[in-house]
Amino acid sequence: MTLIDLRPLAPRTFDLAGYRLGQPQRADGLTMLPIFGPEQNGIVPPRSGLKLARVVGYGQVELTNPAPAGVAIVPLHIGYIQDGAQNHALCRSAFIAAGQTLRFEDACCVQQSQGGYLEGRDQWFFILPVELRAAALALRGQQHYGKLWGVISDLNQRYRLPQRGHLEQILSGQRAQLTQFQSRLELLPGQVGALFFLGRRFAGLEIAPNAAYFAELWMPLVCFGYGVAAWHAAAPKPTAAPTPFAATTLPELRAALERSRQEALQQVQAWLAQAPVEALEVQEEERYLDLRLSTVGNTQIAGQIVDERERLVYASVFARPEYLELSGATEPF
Amino acid sequence: MIAATLTSAETLAHLQSHTAALRLPRVGPLAWDDAALHAAAYAHDPALYALLALAPGVQPWQRARVLLQILQASRAEVHDETRVVLERVTHVLVIGLPPDHTLTALLALRRLRANHKHVTRAIVQFVLDHPHADALIRAHRSMLVDCFEHALGKATARGCARMLTYPSTADEEYLRRRLLRFTRDPETAARRVRDLYTPAPPATGEAVLASLPAGAVLDAERERPTMVTATNRGAIAATLVHLYRGGHATELEQALQRDVALAAANLPRFGGALALVLDASASARSYGDREYACLAQSIALRMVLERCCDRLIIVPVGGDGRLPRSQGASDLATALLDALEQRPDLAAIISDGYENVYPGDLARVVATLPLCGVTTPIVFCHSAFTNSDDLALRRPAPALPQRLFWHQDDFWPLLVWLFAQAEPALAAPWLRAALAQRLHTIEQTLEGALP
Repeated sequence: MTLIDLRPLAPRTFDLAGYRLGQPQRADGLTMLPIFGPEQNGIVPPRSGLKLARVVGYGQVELTNPAPAGVAIVPLHIGYIQDGAQNHALCRSAFIAAGQTLRFEDACCVQQSQGGYLEGRDQWFFILPVELRAAALALRGQQHYGKLWGVISDLNQRYRLPQRGHLEQILSGQRAQLTQFQSRLELLPGQVGALFFLGRRFAGLEIAPNAAYFAELWMPLVCFGYGVAAWHAAAPKPTAAPTPFAATTLPELRAALERSRQEALQQVQAWLAQAPVEALEVQEEERYLDLRLSTVGNTQIAGQIVDERERLVYASVFARPEYLELSGATEPF
Repeated sequence: MIAATLTSAETLAHLQSHTAALRLPRVGPLAWDDAALHAAAYAHDPALYALLALAPGVQPWQRARVLLQILQASRAEVHDETRVVLERVTHVLVIGLPPDHTLTALLALRRLRANHKHVTRAIVQFVLDHPHADALIRAHRSMLVDCFEHALGKATARGCARMLTYPSTADEEYLRRRLLRFTRDPETAARRVRDLYTPAPPATGEAVLASLPAGAVLDAERERPTMVTATNRGAIAATLVHLYRGGHATELEQALQRDVALAAANLPRFGGALALVLDASASARSYGDREYACLAQSIALRMVLERCCDRLIIVPVGGDGRLPRSQGASDLATALLDALEQRPDLAAIISDGYENVYPGDLARVVATLPLCGVTTPIVFCHSAFTNSDDLALRRPAPALPQRLFWHQDDFWPLLVWLFAQAEPALAAPWLRAALAQRLHTIEQTLEGALP
């Protein structure tokens, strides 16, 4: 196990001391460092526990926690897609107690010209691409279903897709490529979170209450939350022959491979050391017993976290687009 | 291309990939673009060369070239055992190839003035014993007459035809010695010779040839489900998927043992050490409808290999054990080095192709191996869900020879390709035994089709 101190990331805001990082994995420009650490039981997982109940009206989504016990922490920026219905995403996280149905009046439509309401189903979900997350978070609490169409349209234009507020152009149109990120990067046993880098810069920190919760969040996160940006930033595949290691025997080759891995690890450690260190503003949003949901942010990163008496339970903290664009995240890895 | 230096693997790759037709222009020489390669391969090992025509996936026109090569060469100096193999392969190619391919090869023999006794036998078998000989005679009477008269000599052929048309003039011993001893059924042969020399209205020619069902018998039957699921990709993988899903272990284990034994029953043993880098990382499990499918097929292949390799070295990536639980990242480069350190004769990476620690490492290691003096043949076997899987992001070492497999029916072509990569001293005995077994199977199939 590689130990990397996470505390430089957002010092003094929340305690990451109990967490440790595993060996980095890469796919295109996306680097994922698995996070292992304390697990909190009694939290309903987002796929098998939390259910889409219905869409009451455009921008009004009801989720339910049918479990007999355990609170659900709604993953930040969860969204649902169905054929023949207006796809929706949420701008914020929330607590839903066992047996409770919660209506989100501030949800966003993410498919501008599509009519129809999502139906209550047991179905997969996505997480908004990191390029949209800061805008979505800033719009929490605002009741206007078309509020995200502008930034979706801009993102489509940036990715040379028709300029309109249709997120499915990105998520569904490139789904065959995006869904491969769940295989190109691999979830490890006991993994409770991940640190993501796009190119050389911090892109996101995701920590779940436990490994089962994170396993259900894995596909939506890697394929859609961070995979979209990675896919579009991917450098063309090199056509030149691979560069051989400087070795003339098998032991030398093994040593050279190990050295290159150490260099890669040191590179990632250097990226981590350069991660945003500005103090985060913290705004408490909700409480459920001892659990506290807060929005955090500064000029570089934003997100929401859940803590229990200052012990971290859930975190979804991501880089703002300005930070990613300024950081050279789109440079070939 | 220096034909004389080709290995079995290279010869096989050529036979499976070179699709150009053998052409016989009305004037000018035979258009046989790779004649030197065929001649060299035949000279090196006539029996193995002939048997390679029966390897899975060999192009029909390449099989026709093999037929032409083994017929045009003299067998005067050939060992008896080899002569028998050549004769048997000739027979299955003459009968099993698409008739227009066989006909082209036989007409080419006339152009090359090859008139050995084995040529006579092959032509007589084609013209008089072929299951579709009646249709062929109607469609291509003049070409078949050309072949027939080349085989027997014009005067002899016409003399035999006259005797068979007017039995009162027949010299039975002459007919037997010159013609009928080469045929399976003298009565049918006699009728066909008469048809051959009976002018008939022009028939539909190419259309008749195209309509004849031929050629398929030379390739093993394959199951091709219209809708691929996790459990219709062969018996072994289906049982493994059920085991992974938590099915009743006892009856599934019994079925597993039975099906693996059946799959390996006719496979010869590979006399060397085969190292398998077996990728059971987290992605091997896949998800949704495909869950466990690729992992199960990889394990199925390993179980078959366990029964036909003298020494099988397993180097796991991620999960380990008899039924590995897929887990962990994909460090294929380190696993390959682990495998090579055990000095195998052949190394195969069985993987879904997703490399993430780190992408490019395997390719760099492969590129470095020649500089380290490593000459062990290494191949990459893509474990896929269907044969149309998109591998664009799943080729971690493009320089390695690679093949995709997704169904248990792919094991046979995969193993032929795999073991052909080994050094000749190991590859040739395996190929010879495996393809001889295949020859026997084809002969049994053809037996039912012949008059």
